[in-house]
Amino acid sequence: MHDPNLNVANVLTELLGIVNMVRENKGQLLLGELTPEMKLREDLGFDSMDLAELTVRIDERFKVDVFEAGLVDSVDEVLNRIGGGKASKNN
Amino acid sequence: MTRHILITGVSRGLGLALAQKLLDAGDTVSGLSRHLSADYETLQKKHGKRARFKAFDLKQASHIKSEVFDDFLPFDLPLHGFVNNAAVAYDDLVTNLDLDRFRAMNEVNVLAPITLTQHAIRHMLFNRVAGSIVHISSVCAHTGYKGLAMYAATKGALEAFSKNTAREWGERGIRSNCVVAGFMETDMSASLSDEQGKRIHSRTALKKATEIESVAAAVVYFLKDGSSSITGQNLFVDSGTI
Repeated sequence: MHDPNLNVANVLTELLGIVNMVRENKGQLLLGELTPEMKLREDLGFDSMDLAELTVRIDERFKVDVFEAGLVDSVDEVLNRIGGGKASKNN
Repeated sequence: MTRHILITGVSRGLGLALAQKLLDAGDTVSGLSRHLSADYETLQKKHGKRARFKAFDLKQASHIKSEVFDDFLPFDLPLHGFVNNAAVAYDDLVTNLDLDRFRAMNEVNVLAPITLTQHAIRHMLFNRVAGSIVHISSVCAHTGYKGLAMYAATKGALEAFSKNTAREWGERGIRSNCVVAGFMETDMSASLSDEQGKRIHSRTALKKATEIESVAAAVVYFLKDGSSSITGQNLFVDSGTI
């Protein structure tokens, strides 16, 4: 991540907030922590519609469409897409 | 409650009439057209900031995200509806098909509306808006007219897209419907001869052209909460084509 403000810990904190927004809307319990190895479907309980909402919220915040280059499965892959995305390239 | 509605083809004809209706009702309109028309400018003078406008050519479907959404429709301006009104008509016999012209028509009539829908739904998801999408289709997708097979194919594609969008996004409260318009007296049908016009009108129960106001009123109905249980439907506003 080239943007000095976009270190992994900061992005994970922001992602946790986004993930919890989606979970809250579905009436699911809020997560206290997000770790890179977590799977979006199995561990976060997201279906395809939730992943669409997640994509929009990440796009709004980081200017990266995480699913544009194919499916992502884990938090780690989301981090990679954000890190290699347009926002950090432009910085 | 006032709403914010995105309308394509807002400079004249049905798009203009619809913008006027919504603006008069207190809604905010974000209008797209290739050029700002004097008529839409008049609406801007009357309604000020609620009559938004962006010059955009739907032939540039790949620029929709950056130019229409990122620049003109930021996420902090919630979107309650999208009316896919703009279209171009290329008419000829099937045997005379010009592939380049057909491709260009598909870009404006199918690819751009589908891409606009993609981003309109994303916008609605972000703001958790149970929005309404309305596509303007044409009766020629249901009743054959000589010379309109290619144009009708683009409208048939939209109707299928609308029904599937309704199914896909209904669980988030997002609705999608089509208003299937008959032949209106707009610039789009201006190329029809009087004879063709008479033949078309003679096939309707009311024996006359479809009124723009009637089509616009049907679109407004789909945009409002009064139609909140209606999705995936086609409403024919066509003088009763039989």
